[in-house]
Amino acid sequence: MPAVATTTPQSLSRAATAKVPGTRLMGRVEPYLYVLPAAVFVVAFLLYPMVLTVIRSFTHDDGITTPTFAGFDNFINLFLDPHFIASLQNTFIWTIAAVVLPVTLGLAFAITINGVRWSTFFKSVIYLPATISAAAVGILFSFIFGYDNGALNSLLNIFGVHNVRWLFESPINTYSMIGAYTWQSTGLNMMLFLVGLQGLPQEPIEAAKLDGCTGFGLIWRIILPMMMPYVVIATLLAVVNGFKVFDQIWVMTQGGPGRSSETLAVTMYREGFIMFNQGYSAAIAVIIALAALIFSYFYLRSVLDQEKQI
Amino acid sequence: MTSLAAPAAAGDWQQPGIVRRNLGLVAAAILAIFWIAPIVILSLNAFKTPNEFLMTSNLAWPASFNIFANIQHAWAKGLSGGFINSLIYGIVGSVGAVILASFAAYGIVRLKLPQGLFWFLLIYSGTIWPFQMYLIPLFNAYLQTGIYDSKLGMILFYITICIPFCTFVMRGFFLTVPWEIQEAAYVDGANSWTVFWKIMFPMARAPIILLSLIQFTWIWNDLLFGLVLSKSPGVRPVMVALVGMQGVYGAQDAPSVIAATLICSAPTLLLFLFLQRYFVRGLTLGVSGGR
Repeated sequence: MPAVATTTPQSLSRAATAKVPGTRLMGRVEPYLYVLPAAVFVVAFLLYPMVLTVIRSFTHDDGITTPTFAGFDNFINLFLDPHFIASLQNTFIWTIAAVVLPVTLGLAFAITINGVRWSTFFKSVIYLPATISAAAVGILFSFIFGYDNGALNSLLNIFGVHNVRWLFESPINTYSMIGAYTWQSTGLNMMLFLVGLQGLPQEPIEAAKLDGCTGFGLIWRIILPMMMPYVVIATLLAVVNGFKVFDQIWVMTQGGPGRSSETLAVTMYREGFIMFNQGYSAAIAVIIALAALIFSYFYLRSVLDQEKQI
Repeated sequence: MTSLAAPAAAGDWQQPGIVRRNLGLVAAAILAIFWIAPIVILSLNAFKTPNEFLMTSNLAWPASFNIFANIQHAWAKGLSGGFINSLIYGIVGSVGAVILASFAAYGIVRLKLPQGLFWFLLIYSGTIWPFQMYLIPLFNAYLQTGIYDSKLGMILFYITICIPFCTFVMRGFFLTVPWEIQEAAYVDGANSWTVFWKIMFPMARAPIILLSLIQFTWIWNDLLFGLVLSKSPGVRPVMVALVGMQGVYGAQDAPSVIAATLICSAPTLLLFLFLQRYFVRGLTLGVSGGR
């Protein structure tokens, strides 16, 4: 990520403003005219709603009657609500799995593909699922996981395994959906790691090879340690993304059967837009935001550290 | 950062001998086949008739050639509206966001807006919050103002959601443009408006194309905001139409739904294939690879 916090050189700035033609007043007002449209849009459609959500999370609000102040009631009730606790557990499973699988596979794929003939072609194939929408992936894998004649069950039948209810039983449906998610998000991680691999200094690798370190030993002892900064970034990015998954779950199980495969994002949607517990729903949104803020903080910090090293 | 387009040299350390080189090739080929298999298998099923789909395994080779009828069904059963809506949202939304974000970045960086960093962070902070933070107030406000379930409402939102990331990238770009160009233009009597359109905007062609692509893809693939802010077939975006179709016809006419899914995935997939180089550059530039 290009340096976020760099400020422009002050000496140049004065020289530039001095040359701005027109009246002084116009010169002073002008920059605001360029910035205001974007700022107004962002404040009106994003930041103001964000503040309203925080306020609403402290109210009893069913979307119809006038909201009343509730203090921390919503937050306390959440942790007494078995649906919310189950949703929290699923979110935890999702976050862990969505980190471990795509990142590990992405790294393994990157090491396999890097430098192989036709690697550009292989890269495109693995990255392909990342270009289609999570909703489309959800639909495609609903068919792959089909019970009667789905591709996966048909394949397993060949080996004498009976049909599995991939999407209709908890907790296996969560694992099935994570499988689909992994299929989609491994490509992005692989691309990140390929960038990392190409940027590795060649000297330590050459030195290790001269000392007789090759194959898996080389990868394990030399390449992986040097790739650690990229692993950290990919991991944190995966946490931020895996934590917020909605589309795929909504398409594949709608959080069902019952509410057994919901994650926080799905629970928030269901409470807010199907059951119209808006205050309660807003409280879930606030909890998601708090967690996301913490993850994003660590993510940005490691990205910025990385920038400094390069 | 080195471009991904030049892979050969850097990978030499991995394959010392000819045997190992081919071993890597075989491994990569197996991975690729395994990874592409779901799409290939389902594409084959898009050729079947609804009956054949129900009676045979999904792994079975299609006996019928019903693909065109399936596409026709999919198109008629609600995909057409969503497809065209999302085309409008994707183009207007991404272009609108890129222009407004370029204005903002230009004002902050090139016109030296006082407290520019504050204004930048104000706009950029739109990327920090999870989408769930916006949903309920947006829904309520859209209902109250009457732009719920309207094309205008969708476009306004899609422009906004794309602005913060675009501002971030455009600001980074404008910081790199030499000051002499701008000063020379002012000496020649140009004002800030002409400098923007005649000098800055053409110079920024590469990041602008890249951003438009990323944002178009994002808008095209959006499901959540389409679900919350729209409902009628004339307004809802393509992914909402697709998911609705799966809910209604998924069981009785699966081949049409699969065909619909492939059609909906085609635009972003083709964009990626034709403009891979830009996408890969986007990865190194934004890491987040998206909004």
